[in-house]
Amino acid sequence: MLDSKSSAALDDLLVRCAAGDRAAFRRVYDLQAPKLYAIALRITRQSSLATDAVQETFLQVWQNARHFDPKRGRAEAWLVGLVRYRALDLIRRAGREVLGAEVPEQVDQAPDPLEQTALAFESEALQRCLAQLDPERRRMIELAFVDGYSHSELSTRLGVPLGTVKSWIRRGLEALKRCFDE
Amino acid sequence: MTNPPNPPLPGEPPMDDFDMRAAEFVLGTLDDEERRAIEAARLADPDLAAAIAYWEERLAPLADTVAPLEPPPDLWNRIEAQLPPVKLALTSRETAPHRLAQTVAFWRGTTIAALALAAGLAGLLLFTPRSDLGAESYAAAIVDQQGLVPAWFAETRADGSIVVTPLAKIDRPSNKDLELWALAAGAAKPVSLGVLPAAGRYIVPSGKLGDRNHLKLLVTLEQAGGSPNGEPTSAPIYGGELVATN
Repeated sequence: MLDSKSSAALDDLLVRCAAGDRAAFRRVYDLQAPKLYAIALRITRQSSLATDAVQETFLQVWQNARHFDPKRGRAEAWLVGLVRYRALDLIRRAGREVLGAEVPEQVDQAPDPLEQTALAFESEALQRCLAQLDPERRRMIELAFVDGYSHSELSTRLGVPLGTVKSWIRRGLEALKRCFDE
Repeated sequence: MTNPPNPPLPGEPPMDDFDMRAAEFVLGTLDDEERRAIEAARLADPDLAAAIAYWEERLAPLADTVAPLEPPPDLWNRIEAQLPPVKLALTSRETAPHRLAQTVAFWRGTTIAALALAAGLAGLLLFTPRSDLGAESYAAAIVDQQGLVPAWFAETRADGSIVVTPLAKIDRPSNKDLELWALAAGAAKPVSLGVLPAAGRYIVPSGKLGDRNHLKLLVTLEQAGGSPNGEPTSAPIYGGELVATN
């Protein structure tokens, strides 16, 4: 995890990427590729798709670095978003249901992220606000964000009707928003 | 079903649709079409960009629960190969010496790699017909600035022409052309060999060339149709040097 100093350094590197600085771009890759690859692999569950997602992410970073605004949020959060959207594109296109041969073992054995986050989070707000949610609702939000589960996948996996999944997630997001803004 | 632990307070407005869509976009639960539409709209809509950044910022720490993992070692090369050609400085104001300096710097980096590639490719292709035996033949790999990506293979034929065969798909801006130049050993200025076609082989007629040995072949990015003044208007982005193959 990056501390605030290296987070600011990453912001600075992205600003330099926007100006066409390839050395800065390489540095962003060196700093962030392992994290982004792991996130993509968790969602796609296939190393070739995860690799494609990271490749597309970095091309997007190069092209769109000027759209990154450090005043809106941290560079890390922007990058995490980009790689997740690319990974989601790829699994929805490739159909994840038939994949899964390359799932690393640790994925299936991964404990509830909230338990890990107690150790790893820098964001106390997220931890505190997630903890206020009904556990089932919290799990849905975690599975959607970290594993890229769609509404219908959540419905199947958790045995909850599709409409219920949608409304629980919305209420969960509303509850988070209230908590974040307190 | 349990009661929500955080029921909306009476009179409190729920999140509006705009904010909810931003939240669901970030969470990843929108359908594909809507997700792509929002991602595109975000670039042009500052309010949407801010709403998305709000959620990305607050939910991103969830991703810290995934342990980092080294990506495949060739991933960086794949990314780098897809970057557009190095942005060339506006060169209309540049002086000739400056361009020459760029050319020299280019050669310092690429010549050894290009020579090795040319020798390897010539050996692989075995292109020289028997009737050419006795005539000198030359070949060059025309490579990028890092000397990593062979872009064209150039080879002389018995009639003295040079055949330039693309080895990779080279992206170029739609309103630009890639122009091929020859720089003779010791010469100060390169001579234009014409604009390279977007696809397929390009043949340089024999009359255009002097001594083939150690002739440098350069490629620059020029306005459509080629340089307006018969000189490169930008630094070379690809290059190679003809060497004897027999």
